[in-house]
Order: sequence, then structure tokens, then C-alpha cells
Amino acid sequence: MSQNRYVVVPTVTVLAVMKARLVGAVKGHALLKKKADALTVRFRQILKKIVDTKQSMGKTMRESAFALTEAKYAAGEFRHTVFDSVETAQVRVVAQTDNVAGVKIPKFEHIMTGGEGKMGLTGLGKGGQQVQQCRKAFLKSVELLVDLASLQTAFLTLDEAIKTTNRRVNALDNVVRPRLENTISYIKGELDELEREEFFRLKKVQAKKKRDGAIQDAERHAKGVSTTENGAPADMSGTPEDSDIVF
Amino acid sequence: MYGLESLWFNIKDGYVDAVVRGHRSGLLTSPDYNNLCQCETLEDIKLNLTATDYGPYLANEPSPLHTTTIVDRCTEKLVDDWNKMRTNADEPLGQFLDYCTYGHMIDNVVLIVTGTLHERDVHELLDKCHPLGMFDSIATLAVASNMRELYRLVLVDTPLAPYFSESLSAEDLDEMNIEIMRNTLYKAYLDDFAAFCNKLGGTTAEVMRSLLSFEADRRALNITLNSIGTELTRDDRRKLYSNFGLLYPHGHHELAGAEDFDQIRNAMEKCPPYQALFNKLGYGESQMLDKVLYEEEVRRLTDTFEQQFHYGVFYSYMRLREQEIRNLMWISECVAQDQKTRIMDGIVFLF
Repeated sequence: MSQNRYVVVPTVTVLAVMKARLVGAVKGHALLKKKADALTVRFRQILKKIVDTKQSMGKTMRESAFALTEAKYAAGEFRHTVFDSVETAQVRVVAQTDNVAGVKIPKFEHIMTGGEGKMGLTGLGKGGQQVQQCRKAFLKSVELLVDLASLQTAFLTLDEAIKTTNRRVNALDNVVRPRLENTISYIKGELDELEREEFFRLKKVQAKKKRDGAIQDAERHAKGVSTTENGAPADMSGTPEDSDIVF
Repeated sequence: MYGLESLWFNIKDGYVDAVVRGHRSGLLTSPDYNNLCQCETLEDIKLNLTATDYGPYLANEPSPLHTTTIVDRCTEKLVDDWNKMRTNADEPLGQFLDYCTYGHMIDNVVLIVTGTLHERDVHELLDKCHPLGMFDSIATLAVASNMRELYRLVLVDTPLAPYFSESLSAEDLDEMNIEIMRNTLYKAYLDDFAAFCNKLGGTTAEVMRSLLSFEADRRALNITLNSIGTELTRDDRRKLYSNFGLLYPHGHHELAGAEDFDQIRNAMEKCPPYQALFNKLGYGESQMLDKVLYEEEVRRLTDTFEQQFHYGVFYSYMRLREQEIRNLMWISECVAQDQKTRIMDGIVFLF
């Protein structure tokens, strides 16, 4: 207990500060917990989408590869013709950011630019249709790939964010709060201790006064002087139920 | 049926004719294909091919095999056979054999020219060229920086020079779409080849007329089919059709105006031989058209071996081997990609 607390001077002011901090910590914990939950919900959604996309990815890639085979079968070797008729990229990826519970998540989207260019006539003599089909099949694959990339990045970013948030939640829950509580109880304990010391000290003072009074009385008695008139103060302070004197 | 060529054909061309007929028996047959279709891996395919003519070419290939390796080795076999026959050929057979390879030569020239325009490495481009279409000065094609120079310096020395000068002007060369250029050249080549065969006369002319007109009609059909929905105008389209074939000239007129598959079909069905082909297709499906056309081509090609004393067998041998390589590519791709349900869609049985 003594090591898991803040090193503070146990006073009433510090106690008030610590109590305020404890309230802050509890509130922060609740808020972060809510954020972590929101992130986790989103995380699960993305995970589900990733699984779906990956499954369809396998199918689409296979279809695309086969479309390429079909095109090769019909058109022969057309790779270089396609290579050389490309001028600018037709599919581009733009990056945007999405905001989930204060976490910035990168998001990729594909956009189509320009028309078909010179591609439309590839394989005019033979196999042109197959080449076009192959092109369409691979366009679909590219779209899926972009989606998947977007999801995967979001997944990683969210994973990181969730980890950080959970660490904070746990830190508040398991380190900060116990430490503050310990400090508060320490301060309270110290204050009680001081109180008891004070009480004991006063009692001691009272006892001493009483003893001194008794000695004086005995001396007066010995001199033959009656003490009944002016012995009243000594009598009054001697009453045992007079404990109010502490405050 | 036979002209006087039966008297002297064997004096000059007998040996090469025997060689090509020998090669014909090396082509894969239906049982071979059935065995190949049962294969589970590319290694199995290699194993199956060791018993065929391709055996020595695939024997030293190290293990993980790729479909492209198989195709390359098989092409190598064809090229070796072809070069051997070309070396032993007397004139005019030699010229005929050269004519057969001009199609690949056009592809190679187009490849190098476009590659050069996009500043690609010449050696890389040369690797991609089809070996049958190679000629001595092909590497120098890359020297020229613009089209006019290209023609003046290099193409003039190639067999393709007349096709360029006949059909393309210098302005065309600069701005023409490369696919249109390729098809214009191909059209000029087919016309020239047909004229050459007619000049040879006799059975050769007869056999080749059937083969070439089918080729020309198929090209016309494909060009029409592939240009639907593109910016190619009716007149441009018309210019790419060859000047012979069963469809010439009325069918071409209809094809040029066709806007969808059914219109093409109507135009084609006016020719009795093609009507039979289109009857095999259901309405609205153009998917199987390629295979049907390949099958018809193979049927015509194999028929040429039934005739004696003509050059058509050489052309047929080349086309049949190419079809065989296409089949092998299809089988290996299907096996490699685990798509065995589709395996029958691409195979055209030769015998």
C-alpha cells in the first residue's frame, strides 16, 4: 500500500485535490471505454467485410486468369500490343480519411479516368472480344484489390487505435484509480493519526494540570489555609467528561 | 484432277513433300489429347509428351515447369522443322514457304515498330518476336526514329516492302492506329499470297484458294465482330477486308454495315458453307464461334493431305502445328489453373 501511492503531504487541501483527480479518472475511464467499444464494433464490421472480399477475391482472380487464357487462345501473344497502346493509367486510386470516434482511418477509392483510348481495337484481326473480356475481368479484380487494400489499412489502423485505447482504459482502471484511492485513504489515515495524537497530547496536558493542582492543594492544606473558596477552577478542570477541549 | 505437275513434282519437291507428310503423322491424335486431359499436373503433361515428337524438346526442362515453357519448346519444334524444310526447298517452293511466314513477319514488324516508338529495349523486343517471322535486318528496325525513315532505310529491303508502299502513305504511318496498320498489311499480304498461289497454278492454286478464302472470310468476320461499338467507321472497316473469298464483294458490303451479331450472322448465312457453321451455334451466342471456326479451319487443312503433288500441305502443316500448340497451351493452362471443367472448350481435335 505504501509504495502504490503518490508521494504527497497528507493535508486536507491535498486530499481535496486527490478526490477531484479520482473523479476525473473515473469519468475518463468511462469515456475511453465507450470509445473502445465503438472502435471494436467498427473493427468487427471491417473484419467481416475483409473476409467476404477475400473470398470473392479468390474467385475473381481465378476468373481473370482464365479470361487471360481465353484471350491468349483466341488472339495469340498480344501482351506487347497492349503494353504499347497504354498512355495513361485508367484506374487511379485516391486516398481519403474517415473519422471513427476520433480515429482517422485512411480510405482508398478507385476512380476511372479517361476513355478506352487506343485499347478498343486491340486484337481486331482475331480475338478482340476475348481481349476486351479479359480487360473487364481484370478491371473487376483491380476494383476488388483497391477495396481490399482500403479495408486492410483501416483494419490495421483501427487495430492500433483499439490497442492504444484499451491500454489507456486499463491503465486508468488498474493503475491510476487504485493509486489515487490509495493516496486518499493514506491521507485520511494520516489525518486520523494526527487527530489521535492531538487528543492524546491534550489528555496528557490535562493530567499534568490535574496533578499540579493536587500538589498545590496539598501544600495549601499543609499551611492550614482553606482552599474551598478558591479551589473551584481546579475542580472544574478535573471533571473527566470534559473531552470537548480537543476542538 | 492432277495436271502435268505429277510428272515433275517429285523431281524437285519430292523430298520435302515426304518430310512434311512424315511430320503430319507426328501430330497429336485424339487418344493423345484424351490422355493429356487426364493429367493432374504440368509434370504429367510433360511425361505424356515425351512419347511424342515434342519429347526431345521438353526432356531437359528443369522442374518447376510453366505453361509458357511448354508452349515455347513446342514452338521451337515447329520452327526447327520449318527451317529444315526451308533449307531443303527448291524454288518456287522456297518462296511459297516464305509466303507462309509473312503473317508472323507482319506481327514482328508491328511489334518492333510500336516498341521503338515507345522507346523499349530492342533486345527485349526481339525476344518476344515470333521465330518464324524473323528476317535478317529485323534488329535494324529499331534504328529508325520516325516512320518515314523506317520505310526508307529498313522496310524497303524486307519482303514486306510492297505491302507498305501499296497500302500506306507516309502520313498514314505516322498517325495510324497500330491495329489498323497491322490489319491493312495483313490484307495486302493475303491478297498477294492468293495472287502468288494462282500464279503457281495446278492443284496448289486450287487447294490454297479454299484455305486462303476461308482465312480471308474469317478475318473479315472477326474484324466486323471486334469493331462493333468502336470508332472504326463503315468505310474503314470495308478497307480492311481482303479482295477475295466467298464473301467478296457482296458479303463484305453487308458485313461493313452490320451493327450486331445477328446482322453479321445474316450476312454470313448467305454463303452456304458458312450457314452450316452458324447452324451449330444457338442464337445470340458468339462465345463458341472461335472454336467452330477453328474446327472448320482444321477440317479444311487436314483435307489438303488427301491431295498429291501440291504445296498446300506445307501451309497446312504449319497451321495445324500452330493449332496443336494452342491446344497444348489451353490444356496446360486449364491444368495449371485447376479449371478442368473447361478443358474441352478449347481443344480442337486434329485427327
